[in-house]
Amino acid sequence: MRTRESGGGQGRGAKKPFKKKFLFRKKKFCKFCDEKIAFIDYKDVRLMQAFTPERSKIFPRRISGTCSRHQRKIMQAIKRARTLALIPFASD
Amino acid sequence: MLQYETIFVTEPTLTEEEVDGLIKSYDQIVVTPGGKVLKVEKWGKRRLAYPIGRREEGIYVLMVIECSPQFVKELERRYRMNDQILRHLTVRVENEAQLGPSPVMKPRPIDREEIPSDPAIAP
Repeated sequence: MRTRESGGGQGRGAKKPFKKKFLFRKKKFCKFCDEKIAFIDYKDVRLMQAFTPERSKIFPRRISGTCSRHQRKIMQAIKRARTLALIPFASD
Repeated sequence: MLQYETIFVTEPTLTEEEVDGLIKSYDQIVVTPGGKVLKVEKWGKRRLAYPIGRREEGIYVLMVIECSPQFVKELERRYRMNDQILRHLTVRVENEAQLGPSPVMKPRPIDREEIPSDPAIAP
């Protein structure tokens, strides 16, 4: 598991008064920005599947933490892969 | 002259020679007016993610071409005319990575570990 400095270590800083309700929430970050991936390939079936879990819906930004730029690219790639029947439109 | 990447999916019943024939005919559309075919990749028979007209499988062929836009139009028109082609897609090449072997052709076990390592996706 990767951790970020901003993620808040265990125990340390626990006594500080926090404004937010959630004390120890790991900060989300964009996986693609982190790994400096500029181009997202629609032919990469595994990546497409990773971003369309369970019911084949596109993994939302609020959960994955992907930045808007990369989310748009992912979305475009998923739609291309769907038209070619590489990944499903819907599954249950 | 622009670079395009084009994929088409054919009927699973086609033989190897028939697929080669198709590739050749599409080659000619590009090459005759002075274009280039940079890469041809036959993915072979793959299971479709969803049935297309009761077919469960399809033969995938990827081509990277370099030609003027009007010939892409012609190529797409040919795709639509041919009943043996189930699906097709043509996009502009944005990255050099597209000229190398595509992820589908790579062996599996390496990226197996990559996907669950994403903290948000892992169960």
